[in-house]
Amino acid sequence: MTRRLLLTLIALALGWPPAAGAQEPIKIGAPISMSPPGSVAQGKEVRDGLTLAQEILHKRGGVLGRKIEILYEDTQGIPEKGRAAVEKLITRDKVVAITGEHASSVTLADIEVAHRYNIPLVNTNAWSDAVRLKGYPQVFNRSNYNSRVAEAMGEVIAKMKVKHVVAFAENTDYGTGQAEAMKKVLARVAPDVKFTARVLDRAARDFTPAVLPLKAERPDMIVTIMIPPASYLLMNQLYENGIAPSKDTWLYDGAGVADYPDFWDNVKDAGVGLLSFGLYHPKMNLTPLGKEVRNLYIDQHKREPNRLIFQAADSLFLLADAITRAKSTEADAVIKALRETRFEGTQGLITFEKEKGLYFQQWKDIPYITYQLTARGQQLPETLLIQGPGVELSVDKLMRPAR
Amino acid sequence: MLIVEIVFTGLLMGSFYALMALGLTLVFGILKIVNFAHGEFFMIGAYAYTLLVVWAGLPQVPAMLSAVALGALAGVLMERLLMRPLYTGVIGPGALRDEYAIIVTFGLSLFLINLSHQVLGPYPVKGPDLVAVSRMELFGMFVSPHRLLASGLAVLTLALIVWLIRTTVWGKRVQAVAQNRFGAAIAGIDHARVSALVLALSGGIVALSGALLSPLFHAYPDVGAFPAVKSFVVVVLGGMGSIPGSILGGLLLGVLENFGAIYISYEYRDTFGFIILMLVLLLRPQGLFGERAREV
Repeated sequence: MTRRLLLTLIALALGWPPAAGAQEPIKIGAPISMSPPGSVAQGKEVRDGLTLAQEILHKRGGVLGRKIEILYEDTQGIPEKGRAAVEKLITRDKVVAITGEHASSVTLADIEVAHRYNIPLVNTNAWSDAVRLKGYPQVFNRSNYNSRVAEAMGEVIAKMKVKHVVAFAENTDYGTGQAEAMKKVLARVAPDVKFTARVLDRAARDFTPAVLPLKAERPDMIVTIMIPPASYLLMNQLYENGIAPSKDTWLYDGAGVADYPDFWDNVKDAGVGLLSFGLYHPKMNLTPLGKEVRNLYIDQHKREPNRLIFQAADSLFLLADAITRAKSTEADAVIKALRETRFEGTQGLITFEKEKGLYFQQWKDIPYITYQLTARGQQLPETLLIQGPGVELSVDKLMRPAR
Repeated sequence: MLIVEIVFTGLLMGSFYALMALGLTLVFGILKIVNFAHGEFFMIGAYAYTLLVVWAGLPQVPAMLSAVALGALAGVLMERLLMRPLYTGVIGPGALRDEYAIIVTFGLSLFLINLSHQVLGPYPVKGPDLVAVSRMELFGMFVSPHRLLASGLAVLTLALIVWLIRTTVWGKRVQAVAQNRFGAAIAGIDHARVSALVLALSGGIVALSGALLSPLFHAYPDVGAFPAVKSFVVVVLGGMGSIPGSILGGLLLGVLENFGAIYISYEYRDTFGFIILMLVLLLRPQGLFGERAREV
């Protein structure tokens, strides 16, 4: 009897049997680029954003009283690796949801696996419209999308009354997709504009041969649809060759790279006069949750966050909100709850469209801004705001470089 | 005017290709191995120069010389720790040596890329320009003064290396080992020291090209992929192990790529290099200046 009592006490002291799994963390899978050739810089921002959201959720007592465990897998920005990573996260690690992916080509591979296993996936930063057009019920999009950028840039281009636009797009689903979307939008909103898109290899380093013919063409505007480091190199080479930004040719960035922490270290003079599409600006309204994320980020990193931090944090908050409302981590219940989302995220009230097509399960009204960099080393708060929430589009403010 | 710019910018780029490829061809010519970590020596040079100026506040010239020294040191370490087993009998004779070299240099490449990711982070850093202004006008063309100066330094370095190999005692020892390692040993040449010298020279040259190009291509962990691919094309084009071949091959590739990209299609720019590579392998496998057989 004494022996049995002793064994029972030892077992209880060792935490056996577990209390019906109450303390087991909720596992979320995060396939991101942690090594090349994928954008490791983007992967790092996404990871920082997810970690912040995780900290905030834990401070509030977790989700359904349980902690969140984020399991990261390196996709290297390669679709095959992304597919394998999601397969592993779902089948071996038993995650209840997937989020964090930031490359369109990889997301297109990831969602196939999530769809097959019926696991909810919140898209953090895949802009390609194709992700939405697949129409998979498991996929929800907090991410910005190419058509949104094309509409925003099309409006600015039409108002600027430029006649000849050349776009340089990277050879990815994101790059070619955005160039295609822009072509369609311009045909509608500015039919007089001559628009040509040229695809560049994102792994290339010397873009001089792509840039040189522009000396003869002299377009009114060059649009860049590329992410770093290729976009930085292209901008520098456009500037070195006297093409853009110049008194004859505007430079307009459609990838929103001007708020990357390393932008000015790499672009220098070539960034002065750059017109940029953006998804975050300190002058934009943030919700109380957004302010909490921003302040925590500034405390930890001593600089202004960029848009990926908010997108990643929201991705995890959305899953936590859905699990809380579903009172379960069971896939069908979480998917159903996500579909009914009305969640005040970091940048506004997030809901998902239900109609199949371009906006399927997309947060449609993502706030965006247009701004111009007018001095070297200029930080986001000092940039010239051309358009944004509460700021009417005004191209008259734009400053044209002297040479 | 466009033709002039195409040739001019092609030659500028070609001089960098030639410098990058020279390091690779030296190692192949002497050690008869293909160094898959070649691009990572470029990365070492790019980072060393950039960080010594940006973080340590060193002036550009001493920083560049330090980057060259670091590249040379990395070459010596590679020879001592990884390459020496190839010719000291630790690794078995014959074909196995080639496999060993491929695996060990490929492994070193992956190691260095991932190490720099962990230590230095993923963000690219622009190397400091040698000239303060970002662009200047020259005969009606806008050019980067740094690109111009860096290309001049690349040509000077190429000339210096050719002179060293052709005229100095050490250069003649290198030539002897390249011709016949066993024969050179009988003649009293310490081939291990020659090999160390060659890898130091190769590391230093590639690191210099990394430092010179860091303001244009930036320093980041996988920046070495581009110079590695270009160097392989140049080396095969010029002839494996041939120094004049790699110089001419580099210049030729720079100009041909420019013409192809502008008059045919930019999207296939890198393909032109590979088409040239395949044509050379089919029609003149030894390259423009290469030897006919690998071993005597």
